[in-house]
Amino acid sequence: MSNFGRFVEWPSEMTAGDAPFYVCVLGQDSFGPALDAALSGEKIGHAPLVPKRISRVEEAVDCRLLFISASEDSRLTTILPGVGKSILTVGDMPGFTQRGGMIQFVVEGNRVRFEINLAAAQHAGLNLGSDLLKVATTVRRGL
Amino acid sequence: MAGGLGVIRKVENLSIKQQLTRMNMLVSCAALLVACGAVLTYEVAAFRQSMVRGLSIQAQIVGANSVSALMFEDPESARKTLSALDAAPNILSAGIYTAAGEEFATYFRVRQEALPLPALKGDQSESHRFADGELRLIRRIVFQGKQVGTVYIRSDLREQGRRIIRYLLILTGVLLVSLLSAFVLSHRFQRTIAQPLVGLAKVARVVSRERNFSVRAATTTSRDEIGELIEAFNEMLGQIQERDSALQSAREELEQRVAWRTAELESVNKELESFTYSVAHDLRAPLRHIQGFSAALSEEFGAQLSPEGIEYVGRIVKGTRRMGLLINDLLALAHVGRQELHLRWTGLNGLAEEVVQDLKEEAGGRNIRWQTGDLPSANCDPGLMRQVFYNLLSNSVKYTRPRNPAVIEIGQTHVNGEQVIFVRDNGVGFNMKYSAKLFGVFQRLHRIEDFEGTGVGLATVQRIIHKHGGRIWAEAEVDMGASFFFTLNRAEPSL
Repeated sequence: MSNFGRFVEWPSEMTAGDAPFYVCVLGQDSFGPALDAALSGEKIGHAPLVPKRISRVEEAVDCRLLFISASEDSRLTTILPGVGKSILTVGDMPGFTQRGGMIQFVVEGNRVRFEINLAAAQHAGLNLGSDLLKVATTVRRGL
Repeated sequence: MAGGLGVIRKVENLSIKQQLTRMNMLVSCAALLVACGAVLTYEVAAFRQSMVRGLSIQAQIVGANSVSALMFEDPESARKTLSALDAAPNILSAGIYTAAGEEFATYFRVRQEALPLPALKGDQSESHRFADGELRLIRRIVFQGKQVGTVYIRSDLREQGRRIIRYLLILTGVLLVSLLSAFVLSHRFQRTIAQPLVGLAKVARVVSRERNFSVRAATTTSRDEIGELIEAFNEMLGQIQERDSALQSAREELEQRVAWRTAELESVNKELESFTYSVAHDLRAPLRHIQGFSAALSEEFGAQLSPEGIEYVGRIVKGTRRMGLLINDLLALAHVGRQELHLRWTGLNGLAEEVVQDLKEEAGGRNIRWQTGDLPSANCDPGLMRQVFYNLLSNSVKYTRPRNPAVIEIGQTHVNGEQVIFVRDNGVGFNMKYSAKLFGVFQRLHRIEDFEGTGVGLATVQRIIHKHGGRIWAEAEVDMGASFFFTLNRAEPSL
């Protein structure tokens, strides 16, 4: 998941300092300790990746990447407008990108792929790199 | 190496013109080959470098474009990136590998095959190798300071081969044109070096073949060693010519002097001979008077003489008889000197045999063993030659008187390829100390009481042999016999 963060063109002031780069999980955490292990020691620029588990979208103010768990499926349409600018939203629930999420995991056969909603990202002021778009299964350009 | 030596040895037989041309050609050829080799080496190295650079750039592009594919495990995207290499005809195959070294995506120009990833040492970001006619390049794919994979590209060297061939063709062309111009130039330049030398050699040949020292080599305007050589050669010819003419005049002067001296000598000799002859001739008349009146004295007044007187008269008669013999011999000797030679082809065997017969009669009861060998025929005056044999053989008979048996041998032998006739006996011989006196007039090596003689015989023999253009000499030892050797005219008897 952190790989998404690497392909996003963040505003340079966000990655210049060593303020933590929070990777937040909203709702039911299906990753468990695997997330902590995966992020441990990883950095984007100088910013260390730090996992953060939250239960309310209001807590996501300092998050850079917000994973919205499938448990929030029913509340998604209310959650998304509450997410602040410059926060990359990722989810694995069906129809995530159609409903305004930016990146959605899709299982294809035995491999995990993803869809991108480019317009949503641009709206939030995030520029997803062409390399990322290249490997996405679907890129939505309109809302 | 042997061929090289062969070439050099062959060069020694060529004319200087050809040698110069060949030298020029060889030098320019060698220089051009070295230069061409250097250029070619540099070109190959430079081309390889640029190939590596080009391939490295391609690997970087492929790598950069494959980062997301690697990170999101999308080999299809990586394959798409790799397929862009189709545009580069030199690339045989390429592969992208994960950071763990597993094959991720491959590309093959012709057909699929295994493409194992060679190891990349240490923290090298890139390495390349030329092997098996290929250039192989490996490059790490690094994203944000972390290796996410490796790209491996194989490129053929056909382009390099084509380039080398193109270069070789161009170089061959350059070589040919250069050699042609070197040939033309050396042809022109050799004229200034070879032409004077060729002229010099021609003159030297004329000099040595025709002994003509009046020719001169054409001088050149150049003040180099060749110019000096020609000048020195001409000077040398001049010196030889001068010395030659000096020598010629000296020789002419000498010849003139010899001719003059010879004429002088001849006239003196003639005078001497005629003097001898006239003296001998004029002495005969008074001698006859003395003989006649001595005889008359002993016949008519013998009775009135005392025995002492008779003995005196006897001594006078004896002395006059001896003097008569001397005068006769002197006349004979003078005669030989004055006489013209009447040369005839004569068998010397017959001549010697006649003399031996005469001497056998004269020697009466003596025990003499005659050994006559085979003698040649010669162009000689038979009368004079008979006298030579007579004098030599009668000497032998005389000086072998104490021997019993006496052995007298006549024969021929060869000394230094020259025909020599000899007369040998086992007589009393003589001391070689006096051999110089042997052929002198009135010279005797024995006492007249022991062996009679006037001392004119051998002088006469020598004069006859000399008149025939021959030589005479003797070898002897006291009491061991004597040998006389003579040759006739050096020129063959047919003359």
